[in-house]
Amino acid sequence: MLHYFKRISLIFCISLLVLSCKKEPYIITKITAKTIAIDTTIAAENSITKTIAPYKKQLLKEINTVLSYTSKNLVRTDGDLESSLGNLLADLSYQKANPIFKKMTQQNIDFALFNYGGIRAGINKGKVTNKHAFELMPFENRYVVVELSGEKIEELITYLIQENIAHPLSKQVQLTITKNGFELQINGQKFNRNKSYHVLTTDYLQSGGDRMNFFKNPLKKYNLDYKMRDAIVDYFKSVDTLQSKLDGRFKKN
Amino acid sequence: MDRRKFLQQTTAATALATVGGISFASFAKKKKHITILHTNDTHSHVEPFEPTHHRNPNKGGVAKRATLIEQIRKENPNTLLLDAGDIFQGTPYFNYFGGELEFKLMSMLKYDLATLGNHDFDNSIEGLYKQLPHAKFNFVSANYDFKNTVLDTHVKPYQIFVKDGIKIGVFGLGIELEGLVHPNMYKETKYLDPLEITQDMTRILKEEQQCDLIICLSHLGYHYRNNSTLISDLKLAKATKNIDLIIGGHTHTFLPKPTVVKNSDNQNMLVNQVGCYGINLGRIDFYFDEEKNVTTGGKSIIV
Repeated sequence: MLHYFKRISLIFCISLLVLSCKKEPYIITKITAKTIAIDTTIAAENSITKTIAPYKKQLLKEINTVLSYTSKNLVRTDGDLESSLGNLLADLSYQKANPIFKKMTQQNIDFALFNYGGIRAGINKGKVTNKHAFELMPFENRYVVVELSGEKIEELITYLIQENIAHPLSKQVQLTITKNGFELQINGQKFNRNKSYHVLTTDYLQSGGDRMNFFKNPLKKYNLDYKMRDAIVDYFKSVDTLQSKLDGRFKKN
Repeated sequence: MDRRKFLQQTTAATALATVGGISFASFAKKKKHITILHTNDTHSHVEPFEPTHHRNPNKGGVAKRATLIEQIRKENPNTLLLDAGDIFQGTPYFNYFGGELEFKLMSMLKYDLATLGNHDFDNSIEGLYKQLPHAKFNFVSANYDFKNTVLDTHVKPYQIFVKDGIKIGVFGLGIELEGLVHPNMYKETKYLDPLEITQDMTRILKEEQQCDLIICLSHLGYHYRNNSTLISDLKLAKATKNIDLIIGGHTHTFLPKPTVVKNSDNQNMLVNQVGCYGINLGRIDFYFDEEKNVTTGGKSIIV
């Protein structure tokens, strides 16, 4: 008898457990929504501003650290097919990236090409700081080297001629637009369309950015795992005064 | 798995303890109100834009966002604050401090949960891991398999919140990292198909966990006009069921109001995204009633 009761109460307990497990469902009856702009009508929360303050102070110190100096304004607009800032950017990229590529492959990079639109700001005469490096290159683009066939190099040259603006090109290239087409030397050697070339650029442009489609599907691709901005900062730190001039590496005859 | 069992057991025990009060509570016919606040793609925009900025002068800023969120919490304490990823990258605050300040501030704002965006891997998966101690909130991602990485066990597929008796399940979805992030950065993170994973998640959250509200925190992107093969929030919304709200990111889409989408069950649900850089805060209010009190079918969506 006692046994029987025990059993009943056990069943009761279990059924209670099962019942109470099933929670009363709630149904959505109404939904409202709005997007609220964070603007000047809202006051700043003091505790947040206070938390930011020491970071801001350190950041301003870091960002204003002087890395180098320039005796003239460096801009992307002081030439037709080349610029002082574009030449500097392409040449420093080659200089910083080639040792990494050489260590990786025992070969040299032939030349570097970036895009005019990627130069985001100029550097005014005077002290050169971290801020300039960030403004010049706010993106996290990394260097890649692609091996391109002679045909693709011809495509690249055709693109440059059609674009007719000062895309940053490193000094290993000597390109002249002539009446009948173009003359091209790479590293002092006449361009050979049966040869392949190693070109330094960024992951952004390699994936077809700025319609540089000749960079897509290369013979080979090497990721250098080196950010362009880091290279800019490294280079600026290594020189007292930035030197750059127009040298006719890309011109019209 | 163990965690889920634990949760179920805890719920059962609590219910049993309060069994005497059930009939009384059911007479109260209490309507419930849950507020969801959300941001996406804040991209290290700790401070407001400069007054001279060409597009967004004086917009944004975490300190102002804090004031607004606090006001809304006072109005309705049953509020969840969520972020759909790309917390990192975009101002020198990230480059110099690696995301430490972003996580600290979000913790002060009492974020409840976030998912991961592609830029959150910009300092590599170790760089993200290193900042986790500064985040007093959790991350969810159901379609990144972190098993062979440092993030293993630190990122859960979903999290359940109970606010005023309403059970809210939130799961995370991330974008395919290949092609967006250097493989050296995301290491052995495996990307799983968001559609398949969503089917698992909604089954777990709806059927097993019996959530009253299911939210997907997504960094897939709102919609890709030029690429119909890419999965997006709109596609996911149409192809799945039982999600009430997708909070999106990645495409920096400024939606003036949430998009109402018919899901695979022909039910209306919402997809929202509030642009980027902390310029806006999204607010969605859900009003609930007990099933037995609801006589008319369907819900009114006023957006």
